[in-house]
Amino acid sequence: MRNQLKFRSIFPVVLSMFLLLAGIQNLYAQNAKKNKIRLKADYVKIMDGDAYLDIKVTTKIKKKNVKVANIALTVYNEFEDEKIKLGTSTTDIKGESIFIIKNVDHIKADSTNTYTLKVSFTGNDAYKKASKRISFKDAEIAAKLISKDSLNYISATLIDKSTDSVITGEALVVQVQRLFSPLRIGKEFNNTDENGTIIVPIQEGIPGVDGNLIIEVVLDDSDTYGTLKTLINAPIGIPIVDESSYDQRTMWSPRDKTPIFILIFTNVFIIGIWGVLLYLITNLFKISKSKI
Amino acid sequence: MKNFDTLIKDLAPKKFGKRGVIWIGFLLIIIIAGIIAYIDQIIKGQVVTNMRDYALWGIYISNFVFFVATSFVGSVTVAILRLTNNTWRTPLVRIAEIIALAAIIMAGITIMIDMARPDRILNLFIHARLQSPITWDVIIIPTYIVISLLLLYFPLLPDFAILKKYFKTKQPKLSKRYGFLSLNWIGSKAQKLLQEKSIKIIAFMIIPVGILLQTIDAWLFSTTYRIGWDSTNFAPYFISGAFVAGVGALVTVIYVVRRFKKLEHYITGSHFDKMGKLLALACLIYLYFNINEYLIPAFTAKKGEAVHLETLFSGSYATLFWFVTIVGLIIPILVLLFKKGRKPLPMFFIGLIVVIGSWWKRFVIVTPTLLHPFLPIQGVPESWHHYFPSLHEWLITVATLAMALLIITLLVRYLPVIPIQRTADEQGLLKIDKNTKS
Repeated sequence: MRNQLKFRSIFPVVLSMFLLLAGIQNLYAQNAKKNKIRLKADYVKIMDGDAYLDIKVTTKIKKKNVKVANIALTVYNEFEDEKIKLGTSTTDIKGESIFIIKNVDHIKADSTNTYTLKVSFTGNDAYKKASKRISFKDAEIAAKLISKDSLNYISATLIDKSTDSVITGEALVVQVQRLFSPLRIGKEFNNTDENGTIIVPIQEGIPGVDGNLIIEVVLDDSDTYGTLKTLINAPIGIPIVDESSYDQRTMWSPRDKTPIFILIFTNVFIIGIWGVLLYLITNLFKISKSKI
Repeated sequence: MKNFDTLIKDLAPKKFGKRGVIWIGFLLIIIIAGIIAYIDQIIKGQVVTNMRDYALWGIYISNFVFFVATSFVGSVTVAILRLTNNTWRTPLVRIAEIIALAAIIMAGITIMIDMARPDRILNLFIHARLQSPITWDVIIIPTYIVISLLLLYFPLLPDFAILKKYFKTKQPKLSKRYGFLSLNWIGSKAQKLLQEKSIKIIAFMIIPVGILLQTIDAWLFSTTYRIGWDSTNFAPYFISGAFVAGVGALVTVIYVVRRFKKLEHYITGSHFDKMGKLLALACLIYLYFNINEYLIPAFTAKKGEAVHLETLFSGSYATLFWFVTIVGLIIPILVLLFKKGRKPLPMFFIGLIVVIGSWWKRFVIVTPTLLHPFLPIQGVPESWHHYFPSLHEWLITVATLAMALLIITLLVRYLPVIPIQRTADEQGLLKIDKNTKS
């Protein structure tokens, strides 16, 4: 009886403790702090190619910037009070996403011919909502390869498309595409003149596959125009002679390209030695059959 | 001079006594412990070893090289002494052939133990790259096993016939087995002709194949550009080292067999004296190659080589390096220069330390080089800079050594360790055809 009483009083206490703790847990979960994310978006336009937003998402953990993967982003075109959805994108394992602007002509610009795009994240269990707005004007680089007195030059003109006028005083970079990072040629900064043009000489002797050089003219991260890039195929390089021994029979080739002398020596050895061994084994049979 | 019956009685295999049974039991316990450790290694993978990205060849490979080296005794003692008509070899050759066979079989098994996925062993043949010394090793080891087996078997034929008759009434079952192995040997002219011709061919063949085996073993290392291995001296260095390991093992085993089988009348002090001279010659040649291997790089060393040599001469491997050089090589030479040092008991101890020195020598060749990688990896754990075998590695390695000893023990138990027919012929006793008539 005494024990029963004890049990009756202990049970509600235990139950209430459990519920209280569970409640605290829930309370704690609801109040768990969400991290802030930082959005970075750059407008990039490749002449005769795509225009896209280069988006990077990071967060700060223990005072260090950490890339955030799997963040669902929506891109809008903001025009006056209108907000037109252009599409969605998700960050990859490096916290990066490329959002290709499919129909540039359908994007609406304001009265100053400025386009405004907004990259928006609605938030999730781990991160607060965030957005980033970028504005740019449409421009283009018209570049060509010219030859004068046996010397080669790159001529490039920067044009504001909205007004169809040349842009002066902007720094363009001229570089040759290489395997790891581009090789800059000419001066560090080539500012466009009053005609919106730069002329950069290309030094001789730059090697390229079959003598072809891919030369880039870049307006890098302009506040007004974003990043513009044009590619010129210039057959003015020194052809790279392939000195690879890939197709040859070498000691370091795969098995189907074994040097002939190795094939001959090894096979002669195997056949020779094992031939003698087989002869010796047959001698054992001969001995067992021999009666005289 | 003994008569033929006494000769057979002396040389015919005898049952083991209590000590023999205990010895086999002891070897079996070690082997079982090794097999358990190996099964665990198969299940958990090579993480149970202390081999990591730096020391990726550990004790298994040094043990493999030791076995390959020891098997060279078949080429040296048997073939060379046979071809040079040194008649004193007769009571020693069979034991040498037995050691060679046991060692090369265990070399083959040890290399499989080092493979993380032994189930893929056929790939070594199916996808073989003939440019790789590993493929040459895969070819040469089975070849050497077969040659060693034939070198042991052909001279045994008349002895099997003798044993068939000897055990006919005492142990009919054993007699039947010897009869089967004797391949109907009656000592006919045709049989003798075939046997002698075959033995001569094997004796000729085993020398280049044995040298090739040691050379390929050396090339496994010297074709890798690694500091301490990248040496044109490596093949003769390995061959001379194998000469030392093989003869050292032979001296040790011969002493034990002589003592426990009471063969003092057949394996005399004179044999030990001659073996001692042979071992001294082997050690001197090996010392010469050692000097070449270490002294010249010490003069011309680039930074990496200098670090490696410093590790050996005065660094973490100095104790082991000087042990194998002084105790395993120089002291045996000094002792063997004196006639008293070539007596059976001192020779046994010299043989033993030469074998122990030879085993650790392979460890010194393999490990320190690996700890100085050609392309160092950034931020590796501190433990990767050092290597000492794990318990699994020790258990498995000691088990392979025990297996080699077990093979030797069983062959010594069931085969006449001294050729009966040949000894009888040399002593002018009865002819085989009279004795084998059933």
